[in-house]
Amino acid sequence: MTATALRASPGVDRAELIAVGAPVPVVLLAGLALRWSGALTGAIVLLGAQQAVRLAIGDDVLDEWAPLAAAALLLTAELAWWSIEPRIPAWTQPRLALRRLTVVLLMCLLGAGVGAAMLVAAGSSLSGGVPLELAGILAATGAVALVAYVARRSP
Amino acid sequence: MTRAATPKIGAYAGLAGVGLLAALVLGRAELAVLAAPFALVLFFGLALAEPPDVRVALEIDRERQVEGENVNASLEVRTQLPVPRLELLLSLPDGLESDAPNPVLVALDLDERRELEVPLRCVHWGAYLVGRVSVRAPDSFGLLAYERSYDLRRPLKVYPRGEALDKLLRPLQTLSFSGSQTTGTRGEGIEFADLRPFVPGDRIRRINWRATARRGEPWVNETHPERNTDVVIFLDTFAEARSGAGSTLDLAVQAAGSLAAHYIRAKDRVGLVAFGGVLNWLTVSSGVTQLYRVLDSLLDAEIFLSYAWKDIEILPRRTLPPHALVVALSPLLDERSVRALLDLRARGFDLAVVEISPVPFVEPGPDELDRLAYRLWLMKRDALRASYLQVGVPVVEWRQGDPLQAALEEVRTFRRHARVTRA
Repeated sequence: MTATALRASPGVDRAELIAVGAPVPVVLLAGLALRWSGALTGAIVLLGAQQAVRLAIGDDVLDEWAPLAAAALLLTAELAWWSIEPRIPAWTQPRLALRRLTVVLLMCLLGAGVGAAMLVAAGSSLSGGVPLELAGILAATGAVALVAYVARRSP
Repeated sequence: MTRAATPKIGAYAGLAGVGLLAALVLGRAELAVLAAPFALVLFFGLALAEPPDVRVALEIDRERQVEGENVNASLEVRTQLPVPRLELLLSLPDGLESDAPNPVLVALDLDERRELEVPLRCVHWGAYLVGRVSVRAPDSFGLLAYERSYDLRRPLKVYPRGEALDKLLRPLQTLSFSGSQTTGTRGEGIEFADLRPFVPGDRIRRINWRATARRGEPWVNETHPERNTDVVIFLDTFAEARSGAGSTLDLAVQAAGSLAAHYIRAKDRVGLVAFGGVLNWLTVSSGVTQLYRVLDSLLDAEIFLSYAWKDIEILPRRTLPPHALVVALSPLLDERSVRALLDLRARGFDLAVVEISPVPFVEPGPDELDRLAYRLWLMKRDALRASYLQVGVPVVEWRQGDPLQAALEEVRTFRRHARVTRA
């Protein structure tokens, strides 16, 4: 959140960014204290909103740090959800914790990689037009269908 | 296994959706980049989720245990697919506790078999069914959880902890079978009774040589025979006083178990009458089998609320054999049991009442009126005890923490000196 405020583009009022992000620690701490996943979602949404505000009122240059911010956002979310899981003494087993942490870090890295690829694609000098729009619509529909398919698979 | 979505899946789907929508609305690819990792976790989490093939078996090292002791439960978990996180919960009924982590979390590799020891502490007597095991396996990303319950219940009987008793109450009359109780009559036995002159037919080994030498003619020893007795434990289950974890019924069951064990050890025949909302009885018999029958019946003893009037008439005749000693364990809280005991005495039964005192379980109220009511209640109880003593029934008050032997000694003292007078 602080990094977002400090990295604000010229012309963007940092106070506005801080105002959007200020409730985040409170909401996040409340979610962790109450073990309430709703508050955690709210905190992540607020962090995302801060980025959106920064991008919306900033200049039109592509932000090359976005994949890193995305990975940090996912890491925050994963650690927060990990924290509110029921406490079981066996969690202290180092092997289990290490294995899980590895999976989380791998997903963050993968997310950053995919984000970077998306950013490269967005920054390419391909001219627009109906075929590209069609490809985008098909890709979005395919992604939704894929998620729906894996979600509906019977156990 | 049933599959359940965790709150995380909804949150991540929402975050990914909002991010993508915002990217479209604002026309900024960076917002889609922010949403991408969440969508990626959703995709991999759902695509790689597999229901775990878990098999659970449960073994309990014994079926019977004494209150306060431990029982070892062994959970065997087996899987063919790797399960990174498996939560196992052994549901324990009230009265059983475990110091081991429960639920327990394990990670199983391919075709792995794991044995988990769960020591169970038997806190309270009772008949339990142990073995409802709930298994929960969240997937690697925490998006889905597979759950299943296994019904592997095994019976476990926890008997009340007995108390050591040196001397038992003895009935006024014995039976004709041999036992451990020395009777007042003369006959074949071990306990020396008296000396008498030798008569034809006396065994040579009964001759008391010292007395014979002193008197110049043969004298023989006379002995008291050892006989057994019938003892009926009368358990009042109409009402109880309870405070926290303890109750008068707990104490009564504990005392009944101790008495039954000691009487049976002394070769006496023991029966049980649980007189209350639900009537339960065991006719008198002896031996270890009977002891277990009595103890098992005690485990079923519970207070069953009933307003129906019951008296001794409803008991089968053979549950109360003539000349039996009836040891009543009662808090003397219910009019029906109070009357039934007086009725038993009126019918000539040899009766002793151990009053499981409800007084420690009752606190006087805060105001003056409550304290007055409390004092009146105590006085009424004194009057009740006096009414028993008046008809020759010993009543002793037994409280939690006091030795049962002390209460029995009090009864023995009363019986030694008290005589019923008839006007």
